[in-house]
Amino acid sequence: MYKLLPNDFMGQPAQCIKRLSDNAFIPFDPANTDYQAYLAWLEEGNTPEPADEQGA
Amino acid sequence: MTQAAALAAYGSNSPSNRNRIINGDMRIDQRNAGASVTVNDAAKFYPVDRFFGLGQSADGVFTLQQSSTAPAGFTKSIIATVTTADASVGATQQYYISQRLEGFNTADFAWGTASAVAVTLSFWTRSSLTGTFGGALQNDAQDRSYPFTYTISAADTWEQKTINIAAITTGTWETTTNSGIRLYFDIGMGSTYLGTAGAWASADYRGATGQTNIIATSGATFYITGVQLEVGSVATPFEHRMYGQELALCQRYYVKDAGETLPGPYVNASGAVVGSAYANWMLPVDMRAAPTCTFATTGMTSITTRKSNTRAIALLATATSTAYVDSWTASAEL
Repeated sequence: MYKLLPNDFMGQPAQCIKRLSDNAFIPFDPANTDYQAYLAWLEEGNTPEPADEQGA
Repeated sequence: MTQAAALAAYGSNSPSNRNRIINGDMRIDQRNAGASVTVNDAAKFYPVDRFFGLGQSADGVFTLQQSSTAPAGFTKSIIATVTTADASVGATQQYYISQRLEGFNTADFAWGTASAVAVTLSFWTRSSLTGTFGGALQNDAQDRSYPFTYTISAADTWEQKTINIAAITTGTWETTTNSGIRLYFDIGMGSTYLGTAGAWASADYRGATGQTNIIATSGATFYITGVQLEVGSVATPFEHRMYGQELALCQRYYVKDAGETLPGPYVNASGAVVGSAYANWMLPVDMRAAPTCTFATTGMTSITTRKSNTRAIALLATATSTAYVDSWTASAEL
């Protein structure tokens, strides 16, 4: 399972996804094998959890 | 043999950096500090840097651990111990110890081209079992494989093994940041992944026909160290690199800071606009890819990794408070 991360105060989107099993932050880098696993997970039709609100 | 003849024999222009295996003498263990890991799933479990074990869920189990039992000239090895036997390994099941070599470090092998060169794998091993054991090399696409076997003739005795591997002129072999070569030392392998030893095959083989499945024997032990892969047909003496040099090579793939740099990175979001306070720090070496990060903090927990690249990590506070980063990891493993 994965979770999206909130934008910063300028509205810029995060460049990572959070893996909930170990609270690891995975960058959107095609060479990162964890990111490759995330993309495969999406390909299976899964959807990440939405991001928390800022300040939560 | 003259030095020039020796150099020519192993086909290298340089006597240094000829070993393409990183941490082949198993000295570096950033993750566990010598503690055991249990390989009980089809996932990667690292007993030392760069080498991982992979197994099965709800079936055979083995542990991996850095060991101070080593042959002369070495101080460390890794030991595999079978804690739950799998006497009948299924056709597609697999138990192994592996290292994946980055393409940048094997590109000069020129595999897949007419200029391909032969290489030699050597290592020290010992086991409570005797017999024929196996492993393989293969490309990242897993459609070119070279299974190999070796014999352990005396139980609980260190023996050095040498495997000569012919050049291969076909197949696609990664030459940059992806896996150039996958190297396997088998603990147990299903028949689907077994092929004839000593020859290249256009197939996904991760072991050799006729090899002993160590996982079949409860309590069996298997040690390995001094792993070296080099250009040429001669197994030269193991290349002992400086500790700091080897650590830096490992840190291209994994970095762990368990608080040695206290006080760690600090993020102060008190009174700041939420989502505007960052903590940034440099990585000790350029990593293979932007790393996956974990961290633990004192104080505010509402912080996230904003971005990481091959040289740095940036954290973002998502609440208004302060925090020290007590420990962190960054992984860009293959």
